[in-house]
Amino acid sequence: MGNKQTVFTHEQLEEYQVGVGVSPELAQLVWDAGSQESPQSLVCDIRLSVWVWSDWRGKRRDNPEASWFLSPQDCTFFTRKEIMRLFYRYQDLAPQLVPLDYTTCPEVKVPYELISSMPELKDNPFRQRIAQVFSQDGDGHMTLENFLDMFSVMSEMAPRDLKAYYAFKIYDFNNDDYICAWDLEQTVTRLTRGELSAEEVTLVCEKVLDEADSDHDGRLSLEDFQNMILRAPDFLSTFHIRI
Amino acid sequence: MSAFHRNSSYDGHGDYPGYSGSQNHTRSHLKTQDHLELPGSLDNSGFHHLRSNPYSSGSRTNPDYPSSVAEADYPGSLSNTGYRSPRSPSFSAHSRTRPDYHESLPEPDYNDFQSDPYCSESSPEPDYPGFQRHSGFAGIRRSTNYEGSRTNVGYLGSLKEPDYPGARGSSDNPGPRASSKLPGSRRDVGYTGSRIGSYPDNLGEPDYPGADSQPNSPHFYGEPDYPDAEEGHSYGSSKLGPLRRSNGKNKDYTDSIEMAFMEMAGDPTNGYVNSAYERGSSPVCAVGNLLLCERDWHTSPQGQKLISSLIPMTSRDRIKAIRNQPRTMQEKRELRKIVDKEKSKQLLEANCCAQCLSSLSLAYRRSKGNLSELLNYISFWQKTFKVIGGKFGTSVLSYFSFLRWLLKFNIFSFVMNFSFIIIPQFTVAEKNTLQFTGLEFFTGAGYFRDTVMYYGFYTNSTIQHGTSGPFYNMQLAYIFTIGACLVVCFFSLLFSMAKYFRNNFINPHIYSRGIAKLVFCWDFTVTHEKAVKLKQKNLSTEIRENLSEIRQENNRLTLNQQLTQFSAHVAAWLVSTGVAAACCLAVYYLAEYNSEFLKTHRNPGAVLLLPFVVSCINLVVPRFYSMFRLVERYEVPRQEVYILLIRNILLKISIVGILCYYWLNIVALSGEECWETLIGQDIYRLLLMDFVFSLADSLLGEFLRRFIGTKFITSLSLQEFDIARNVLELIYAQTLTWLGIFFCPLLPFIQMITLFIMFYVKNISLMMNFQPPSKAWRASQMITFFIFLLFFPSFTGVLCSLAITIWRLKPSADCGPFRGLPSFIESIYSWIDTLSRRSGYLWVVWIYQNLIGSVHFFFILTLIVLIITYLYWQITEGRKIMIRLLHEQIINEGKDKMFLIEKLTKLQDMEKRANPSALILERREVEVRPQLAWDLRLRRSMHEENPEV
Repeated sequence: MGNKQTVFTHEQLEEYQVGVGVSPELAQLVWDAGSQESPQSLVCDIRLSVWVWSDWRGKRRDNPEASWFLSPQDCTFFTRKEIMRLFYRYQDLAPQLVPLDYTTCPEVKVPYELISSMPELKDNPFRQRIAQVFSQDGDGHMTLENFLDMFSVMSEMAPRDLKAYYAFKIYDFNNDDYICAWDLEQTVTRLTRGELSAEEVTLVCEKVLDEADSDHDGRLSLEDFQNMILRAPDFLSTFHIRI
Repeated sequence: MSAFHRNSSYDGHGDYPGYSGSQNHTRSHLKTQDHLELPGSLDNSGFHHLRSNPYSSGSRTNPDYPSSVAEADYPGSLSNTGYRSPRSPSFSAHSRTRPDYHESLPEPDYNDFQSDPYCSESSPEPDYPGFQRHSGFAGIRRSTNYEGSRTNVGYLGSLKEPDYPGARGSSDNPGPRASSKLPGSRRDVGYTGSRIGSYPDNLGEPDYPGADSQPNSPHFYGEPDYPDAEEGHSYGSSKLGPLRRSNGKNKDYTDSIEMAFMEMAGDPTNGYVNSAYERGSSPVCAVGNLLLCERDWHTSPQGQKLISSLIPMTSRDRIKAIRNQPRTMQEKRELRKIVDKEKSKQLLEANCCAQCLSSLSLAYRRSKGNLSELLNYISFWQKTFKVIGGKFGTSVLSYFSFLRWLLKFNIFSFVMNFSFIIIPQFTVAEKNTLQFTGLEFFTGAGYFRDTVMYYGFYTNSTIQHGTSGPFYNMQLAYIFTIGACLVVCFFSLLFSMAKYFRNNFINPHIYSRGIAKLVFCWDFTVTHEKAVKLKQKNLSTEIRENLSEIRQENNRLTLNQQLTQFSAHVAAWLVSTGVAAACCLAVYYLAEYNSEFLKTHRNPGAVLLLPFVVSCINLVVPRFYSMFRLVERYEVPRQEVYILLIRNILLKISIVGILCYYWLNIVALSGEECWETLIGQDIYRLLLMDFVFSLADSLLGEFLRRFIGTKFITSLSLQEFDIARNVLELIYAQTLTWLGIFFCPLLPFIQMITLFIMFYVKNISLMMNFQPPSKAWRASQMITFFIFLLFFPSFTGVLCSLAITIWRLKPSADCGPFRGLPSFIESIYSWIDTLSRRSGYLWVVWIYQNLIGSVHFFFILTLIVLIITYLYWQITEGRKIMIRLLHEQIINEGKDKMFLIEKLTKLQDMEKRANPSALILERREVEVRPQLAWDLRLRRSMHEENPEV
């Protein structure tokens, strides 16, 4: 990776990162106080980063809104290193599509075909749902942010409720905010590669609804699902994609 | 239902082009009803259904017209047929169909159609050749009518597509198509019901530019095989051919369809709607128009609530809260920005002190971020873990993460020992005169006796370089370092145990043999293709087993069988405890005999006898135990695993216990010189022998087993990785390490190396000799159990024996840092004495005398802890009751809901019967009623109508 000269701004990375984040006003305060911290791009090219830095400051002074994308905040459970690694993975999916220089926040999407060809997702029976749930338009095509979002939720650090929420979305095939018998059938068919007979599948769905549907409306709401997930401690470790 | 909502809002837009038309349709109703009497075509009977259905009138679907009007790329005739099909229910009232046709299809025939709209239905074919050309349409329409009102409503959902262009459409589409795989699935009540349920929410959003996104829908409706798969099962007869075709296709599980559809459905430029959004934000928001977005956040009540709840939080909590929101990154960013803005408004009003504080906290967070990054560098084997997880799933992975966790423990202990004991000792080390032959690696004796490895080598003096420099008391360093190590281990064990318990035993009393867990706990870590296939196969077997278990739940064993089983259990327990006791006795007498034997014989290799026997026992007896399963036959596999674990841990712990007894009561009191070093050597040998045995087991036993399994007895096939046994081995080794840390400070280092090697050996062996486990294994629960085992018998046992050593035993007179003292703890007492003579350290003495050394303090402390424990216990009891009540409440609410719905339905039915013509006028009134009434009514009507079909 040494030969790649990628540039994120310091702030951009922070945005994605855990635990680090400042409001613009505070950041200004710190810088004005003469903090020595200079934003460096992680993977070298100091000159460019200096340029970005000065550019950034200039922009900020002129028009704070212009650099809205730089407003630092933290949206994922990743460290810088992991973000960079994920970015390289993302970039490797479509090298001709995704630029290495992300300082300008280009609007790039990697198509679903490429996303689903990742080794992490390739054989996952739910890959299509995962891609749909996390992509902006629900079509499976992903921007870098969607991509980071996806792996952030699937990471080890994500809390149970967040994971349960997205798992629910993934199993909710028709996006109606309920897991109904039909969704369950889909799930079971995918889980078993169609090895169960139709009758068995129906029985399984009945049983699942029987077990988990606490308000007896014949379908699982998010609350039902979360309640059930609480009873399945393995969920936390299994709803996890390693990168 | 949803359409009704829209309709009402629609009234406000008088300038909608299709609207006037649609109003006409209600008028046209009477007319169409007349048509029913015309010489009937097949269609008419179907229409009758719809007509008799009070809600199928034109008004419902009217709002959809504008959206379909907006569709530009519609003219293709093929896609047309496809597109019609889902819509056809709404077209069933001809009046409604008409305007749509004329807008979306600029075909001349349709102009005719329009000019004479109301006849089309009753005598369609002869009069409208253009219409006939769309043969698909006719067929499908007819079939829809068979379905009656059910499909009607189901499709209302999809008709409403404009609101959810990509997300909803894309998921709807594979849905119905795939459902053809499962005959009868669409008959399911929940399906239609659930669809309806969600729509009103979405409708409430005024920001959606419906027409904009509409172009999406033609794409997937236009898919050629859509109508077949979609309608096939429900309408059967006329469409059997294509249906089969599509079935076959779907069964192949090919991706090609999915892909095609994905491409079609997705047009990234068509507005931004993420299906994961809970409260859909406006498309504009995504594009980056901040002002609009903020307004959006502020306007929606949930957004406001969220923001106001975020503002008073500390920045750390706020970040956490925002990060845990199930939103996309862009949304989080907006949210964060807004909150920061609000916050900074408040902040600017505050004084400069607060600003300083916040900048300080910022710096702190930054450094913390850097620290966590640094720690992350240490997390090694990331790649290997990924491979193991990909091939074997989480359960086997848990063994390796347990190993890594232990390794971290040992690294920490080693670093502590190394920096505080070993380095100072190096500076004053005497020259080692013993010769080195190589056998010492195994025996740990000889040359190693006079190295930093063992207790006996350490000096008891105060290390001081130069006369006035700082001095270092070796006695205190030794006892404090090891004490600190153990305390840190204690707390980290306690915390991780608590964490695991919290995560995994939140609600332990409702564990059932849950099939739901099987269904929803797909292991996403598994990525290897073969592993995925195997896992799917295993899962289906397991589900099948589970189902058969449920089916045969009532089959009770006869009394005779129960008796035999019970006696088998008792016998197995007797035999296993007997074997364990015999092993203990054997080890004890062997150890005693061995020490006498060693006095007479000076062969250095003879010391290896005891560890060899112990390792043999550890190797053989667990395998013997696992053979009991042939006799015992537990019904629940988990029970079997737990029983086996308990027996094994009993064996291992009692062996270690008997050895401890031997060391502390016989070796320590035997008056040998430097008995601490002797114990250290014993433990070293045990640890090393255990390592050699597991290495041999992995390299020879497991490879041999594979060889036999694949070459000779193929029925055996590959074996599964026995997680429980392997973890127990780790626990045993770790117990020895902790036990020996006082006598042999370098033991963590040795354990570190063995663990490191074991990781690679096990990894290789796993990849070559094993297959993924066939049963879903409760990995996290088991790991919780293992950590508990590590804590309870093992670590607490070690603490006890070390406490006995330190408080009771007399250190050897001529070696080690504590030489000449009456007991190890005396060093602390004398230190306190020295301190009490210096004025500067009186606070330490005070703390010691009043807190640590005081009985009263501990008495009070215990009392307080007991009281707090009791209070917490009571609180949890109360919560349990609360949980039960809430659960009952949920169930009651559900019942209430069903009851109300039923009542409503009855009421509506009565109304309908009494006054059918007034329905249209009362439409508005109906709108107000709960959506669930629709739901249930539709389900009912479906049930009623199904037999007719």
